[in-house]
Amino acid sequence: MKRGLTVYAVFAYAFLHVPLLILAVFSFNSSRFAVWQGFSLQWYRAVADDANLIESSMNSLIIAIVATGVATIIGTLAAYGLWKKGSAWLSGSLYLSLVTPEIVTGASLLALFQWIFRFAHLRLGMHTVILAHVGFSLAYVVVVVLARLRSYDRTLEEAALDLGATEFGAFWRVTLPYLVPAIAAAAMLAFTVSIDDYVITSLVAGVDSQTLPMVIYAMARRGVNPALNAVSTLVVFGLGMLIILSERLRRT
Amino acid sequence: MKLRNLFLAPTALLMAVTMLAPLAIIVVYSLLTRGAYGGVELPWTIENYSRLYDPVYAIIFLRSFWIAAVATALCLVLGFPLAMFIARSGSRKNLYLSLVILPFWTSFLIRTYAWMFLLRDTGIVNSALLALRIIREPLPLLYNDGAVILGLVYGFLPFMVLPLYATIERLDPSLLEAAADLGARPWRALVGVTLPLCAPGIRAGAILVFVPCLGTYLTSDLLGGSKTVLIGNLVQNQFTASRDWPFGAALSLALMAIAMVLLFAARRKGEELL
Amino acid sequence: MNVTVNRRTFLIGAATAAACSRGPRLNVFNWSDYVAPDTVANFEREFGIRVRYGTYESVPEMLAKVMTGNSGWDVIFPSAEYIQPMRDMGLLARLNHDWLPNLSNLDGQFQQPQWDPRLEWCVPYMHGSTGIVYQRSLVSQQGWTPRAWSDLWDARLAGKLTMLDDPPEVFAACLKTLGYSLNSSDPSQLKAAQQRAIAQKPLVRAYLNAEVRDQLVAGDVAAAQAWAVTAAQAISAAPDKLAFAFPSDGFPRYADNVAILRESGRQEAAHQFINYLLRPQVAAAIVETTRTAACNGAAQRYLPKALRSDPVLYPPAEILARGEWFTPQSAAGQRLRDRLWTEIKT
Repeated sequence: MKRGLTVYAVFAYAFLHVPLLILAVFSFNSSRFAVWQGFSLQWYRAVADDANLIESSMNSLIIAIVATGVATIIGTLAAYGLWKKGSAWLSGSLYLSLVTPEIVTGASLLALFQWIFRFAHLRLGMHTVILAHVGFSLAYVVVVVLARLRSYDRTLEEAALDLGATEFGAFWRVTLPYLVPAIAAAAMLAFTVSIDDYVITSLVAGVDSQTLPMVIYAMARRGVNPALNAVSTLVVFGLGMLIILSERLRRT
Repeated sequence: MKLRNLFLAPTALLMAVTMLAPLAIIVVYSLLTRGAYGGVELPWTIENYSRLYDPVYAIIFLRSFWIAAVATALCLVLGFPLAMFIARSGSRKNLYLSLVILPFWTSFLIRTYAWMFLLRDTGIVNSALLALRIIREPLPLLYNDGAVILGLVYGFLPFMVLPLYATIERLDPSLLEAAADLGARPWRALVGVTLPLCAPGIRAGAILVFVPCLGTYLTSDLLGGSKTVLIGNLVQNQFTASRDWPFGAALSLALMAIAMVLLFAARRKGEELL
Repeated sequence: MNVTVNRRTFLIGAATAAACSRGPRLNVFNWSDYVAPDTVANFEREFGIRVRYGTYESVPEMLAKVMTGNSGWDVIFPSAEYIQPMRDMGLLARLNHDWLPNLSNLDGQFQQPQWDPRLEWCVPYMHGSTGIVYQRSLVSQQGWTPRAWSDLWDARLAGKLTMLDDPPEVFAACLKTLGYSLNSSDPSQLKAAQQRAIAQKPLVRAYLNAEVRDQLVAGDVAAAQAWAVTAAQAISAAPDKLAFAFPSDGFPRYADNVAILRESGRQEAAHQFINYLLRPQVAAAIVETTRTAACNGAAQRYLPKALRSDPVLYPPAEILARGEWFTPQSAAGQRLRDRLWTEIKT
């Protein structure tokens, strides 16, 4: 079965990555359109010149990093708390968060902010976007961490308590290490969801908080633009290098 | 218990602000009337809900459910072996996991465009098939429900793989050894032992995929040629082009209610998702 | 596109911007791809005002942000049929013509447009029409040319036809084949138009906006309902393959205008920006990059001859006379149209 799995995995990874490779190939196309017409770096130059694109990429990164950090920490704590003793209304609202279509979440958040801004003289901006991102990432983090907790042995913590640990100590020293793979998975999920989000972000972003998906959607709606190919190729290979690097470091 | 309350507090606060308060506003909006140019105004009315009793909307709901269900099933079938592979890959687990996530750090829109590229009449798939003389005319691979489902599966596969991996990873290998000792062949062990034990992960993944698929609209617009209206398109339309927030609010609540009913029905004792 | 000049201009602009980082700032919200690469940078350099430039894809999207009266944007670009509603919502600031000396550069037909006869609220920016883009091979191989909207119901186009994913546009085409006004809110007329759209649907490959350009050039699509700007871009990429027709049964005309939001605290800077856009050279540069038709008549002099006489962007007056402007819909009319559109798509 191991061999069969490996073969399957090869096809699965091909399915996942081939479209990206095609994107990358066409980012070097000298023509604007989908017909190959020669090698060119012009689109990468266009990206470097486009201040809007660069600024929005920075915004996206900042938002994703902050939102992921906050959501992962808060969500892990919440999952632990729920595992200790459930809370119907908290579970219910997290459920709701998963069930609500993005457009509804976005529109309702916008309505809420508009209400608040009548009294508080604030504006839409990075803070509203980050708040929204943390809000919708939380449920994902809680689900993943809680799934792992469900198969965790409660008696381990009890044993720690019997041996004199504080409640927090038991959590920190005993349970948390067990949760690390789930936390890592949850963080990755939260980051993915945040950096890729278009609908909610476009509704609650302010003048200063354009994100990459927003710029991309704007360009893409007007027709395929190889500059986008260039951007995504840069992002993917940049991150790819980072991941491979961290793997190397981890193993030394 | 004090620790537990402390741990829950930040999430509780955030949920109240980002989920419950907006939800309350949506409920209020659904009972108001559409303003002349958008926005909401008095008088109070239940007309937005009575509009829902139109068979047009039932058809839309059913089609959206069907597409989401098929996409979810495919994600499960395709994602499970992949999750197993990653869980068993020893020291390279994180690398393989990251390779699943990596494509999804690019814009969803770009990845969708990449598929349009591949599936077009003059795209690579058709060109290859034509060159190999397997077909004589280009196949209409794009702009139909199949393309939409493909796009959804491609978009949501990691949401299935991650929870599955988290569950498989902690499976006790001795259970599988026991099954082998008792004479079960690998396939039988898989179906009889592994799968049932992974049920929590499967349910988590299914929900994480099914629900967003239900509310999707970009995919059906781009890969479906915008020819069919799904619930997501309908709701998005109300909040943008039509500027009919009250009706959009009523639609959203109806959608959420149906989804909650399904989730409730799929619950298992002692196995709540949250 | 001269990339070297771009980078230099950008760097100078950025340096200037950095230098006057305490200076005034203007927030401009426009359609994407609607200015030349150095339009904004040149403005920043000359006036010492930093510009934050955001883009949107549809007026409803822009409206959703701007309707609160607290969005932070100063200058916006609404389409003609939205001017009156936005004015009624109290969103627009009155324009001060003393600060807009370049207004006289506007083309004659846009000095007193029907949506704002005294130009109190907006200044027309770019305009166009909707028509039919088709493959010339239809003419040479099959011997027929699409000349009117009704030609888009021809069974020979099955699977190779696209329409715009824009309810007003699709209704406009259907209404015109029946001989009605494209702004009609008469239920019986709209229902008849809806029936036509449903009848056409099996032939339609997809409902696409600007994305169809790519497919026209590649040859996947034989005929498409398209905006003039998309058509001009497609034809310039494949001049021997594609052609454009202004439908003989009538067609929609659209115009995007620049306006200032009432909430803006930078009225003077906003006026300076509008005045700058009205300069003929600036408008000409934009037209060259984006291939739209400018409402700026004085800009014609600065355009290369090929663009100036481009039949898609600047058709002769007798053709334009067949065009009809979009006007705002009543609430009831909008409701009916939305409902009918949903049914078409189901």
